[in-house]
Amino acid sequence: MRPMRWLPLVLAVALVAGGCGGGDDDDDTSTDDTSTDDTSTDDTSTDGTAASGDDDAAEVDPSLCPVDALTDADKPVEIEYWHAMTRANEEELIRLTDEFNASQSDVRVTLSASPSYPENLTRYTAGLSTDELPDLYQGEETNLQLLIDSQSIVPAAACIAAADYDTSGIIEGVLTRYTVEGIQYAMPFNVSNPILYYNKTAFTAAGLDPEAPPTTLEEVRETSQAIVDSGVATHGISFKTDAWFTEQWMAKAGEEYVNNGNGRDARATAVAFDNETGLALYTWLSDMEKDGLLVSTGTGDLEHYVAIPNNESAMTIDSSAALGTIFQLFDQGQYANVDLGAAPMPGPASADGGVLVGGASNYVVNRSSDAEQAAAWKFAEFLADEQTQSEWAAATGYIPIREASTTISPLVERWVEQPELKVAYDQLLAGADNLATAGPVLGPAGARGEGMRGAVIDAIAAMFAEGLPPEDALAQATEGSNEAIEDYNDRVG
Amino acid sequence: MSGRRWYRTAGRYATLTVLALMFVFPLYMMVVNSLLPPEQLLKKANFWVSPGDALWGGYSTAWNDGHIGEYLGNSVVVTTLIVAGQVVTAVLAAYAFAFLDFPLKRTLFVVFLTTMMIPFEVVFFVNLDTITDFGDLPLVGDYVGFDTYGGLALPFLATGFGAFLVRQAFLSLPRDLRDAAALDGYGHFRFLTRVAIPLARPSIAALGLFAFFGAWNQYLWPLVASTEDHRTVQVGLGFVSEGSVDQVNVAFAALVLASIPLFVLLIVFQKQLVRGLTAGAVKG
Repeated sequence: MRPMRWLPLVLAVALVAGGCGGGDDDDDTSTDDTSTDDTSTDDTSTDGTAASGDDDAAEVDPSLCPVDALTDADKPVEIEYWHAMTRANEEELIRLTDEFNASQSDVRVTLSASPSYPENLTRYTAGLSTDELPDLYQGEETNLQLLIDSQSIVPAAACIAAADYDTSGIIEGVLTRYTVEGIQYAMPFNVSNPILYYNKTAFTAAGLDPEAPPTTLEEVRETSQAIVDSGVATHGISFKTDAWFTEQWMAKAGEEYVNNGNGRDARATAVAFDNETGLALYTWLSDMEKDGLLVSTGTGDLEHYVAIPNNESAMTIDSSAALGTIFQLFDQGQYANVDLGAAPMPGPASADGGVLVGGASNYVVNRSSDAEQAAAWKFAEFLADEQTQSEWAAATGYIPIREASTTISPLVERWVEQPELKVAYDQLLAGADNLATAGPVLGPAGARGEGMRGAVIDAIAAMFAEGLPPEDALAQATEGSNEAIEDYNDRVG
Repeated sequence: MSGRRWYRTAGRYATLTVLALMFVFPLYMMVVNSLLPPEQLLKKANFWVSPGDALWGGYSTAWNDGHIGEYLGNSVVVTTLIVAGQVVTAVLAAYAFAFLDFPLKRTLFVVFLTTMMIPFEVVFFVNLDTITDFGDLPLVGDYVGFDTYGGLALPFLATGFGAFLVRQAFLSLPRDLRDAAALDGYGHFRFLTRVAIPLARPSIAALGLFAFFGAWNQYLWPLVASTEDHRTVQVGLGFVSEGSVDQVNVAFAALVLASIPLFVLLIVFQKQLVRGLTAGAVKG
């Protein structure tokens, strides 16, 4: 009897598992926690304007948010806030939280960090079954529909109504981003959007005006051609395979990404990007790549940046959230060949279009006690406060959610010091205000490997890697997305 | 003929050398990258860092600001609990299945084995519920609930796989040994500790290593079932590497620190490891 003949195999497996051990979870040394989001710029919010955004107060029962419960509670009320801020962002959040805790004696906030938004969501969804939940939760904007469907959150609109909170100072597009069927569900906190990073040195060397970066996709193509022709870099633009950008481009074209008013008039049942605009975008990407003007750097979080100092490209697109870090990095004199510039994201120009709001927002959790919900709302208010937002934006590079925050210290000084930080903010305000720029809301918004974004990423990757024709790629993205949507809607009922 | 043997040996060593380089290379790059200034890492791959230029700051940042030291400590505690638990439960269960007669033995064993076919994800929420509820128990609640070392280890203290592995080793012991031990007046416990366990040591060591790597590399469970206070190193690494385009070296330094225990274990238990690998081959 030799029962252990397979033991070596087992050990081999164990060893392989061990070998990866040091490394597994770290491979994305990423820059931007925000790059997976989208959202919009657009409409109006509380005071009633754009297609989806207003009249919240009228539609939601203020008693859903027991803001008065704090008065009679035993103080301080202890609450937990689950967030996904890391590094400098986390440090600033800790500082703000300490400041909040020290400023009053009613509420004590404890922070609990997750390494990233998806992990924060994993913890949250796991907690739904055990009630190990936070009192306040920071969710990436793609979480919106899922959180609504979880029935575990207090609509922000209820708190706004109950607390008689004035949202008029908040950028309307940001509020509308979190508004579905007229109800604002989350309190905005950290906002970013994608911008163009470009190398002024390369532009000059190629005979281009370094102060006039491309604004449309046609111009990106022309610029890329000029750069490649001049030999300054091997490609014009390095492109990270990310579904977020196609969402942004559709929004800039003023078109909805999913049906039923981007999922804001009623639950989305299918994508809407399988049209001429969508095809034009996919075709542009495919042609750029085929003609050697665009280098696809895969889904990695770093490679598209790295291409610039290595003269593989002179431009790239990614979240403004990384701007501070990227500039700092390229500014250390290590790269004589790089003088980085930032500009609005180039794309289809439409009077009805604009970039989407990316980033995350705060959700009050309804499983908590009344006093805790009230305390959570109080902290959410603090984080959205004028002064807090000025400090937060100055320290992190996120866009302040209030225009007034841009006129006070320390953000005023910070923007003078680094004017590029203002690009994303200006871009956000420049957009139109409608359902298209509000951005898609759907349960299976997905990420790499899952849901709608997974389908889009796979389709774009197939276009680059296998030469899949743009029509087929678009069809594949549409089909995959619709399957995910159908599947989700079936389960949610 | 000896010429041919020489050939063979040379070929074998050449193959092994190439394989060894392949396995060591990523580890080597991990160390190199942890010592380079971050902005250098953004340029093309660097394969060498001269000792004079090495930046050790990444390590202190990872250890102090990244809390890798605390996370390592937590991982050690949780992993130790899991390894000890698995070895003890596996040995006891295996002994029963190998040497004792009791009703429904075969059926029970099959039931035991079927647990190997249930992926952890399937019972994830049930386990989470369980430890969360255990947190409310009197006395033990503080040790086995949500966000405790006990809670992190509890679902993994016994496995069908472990019982199976050790049972097979026990079954391969000659029946005569059991009889001889009985004649010497050994009861079950003494036979188990003095005869069965020492003879089955390669299998038990293999189980221990298997349990160790499984426990050490867990990610989803510790992510969800704990918070800062009991965060394990794998989850901690996630924090260090996120949002760190400017501190890639710190992420790599954290990786090096996190893998040190694995290296130590490998070196210390090399003998057992090799013995475990060859145990089945020499004698079944």
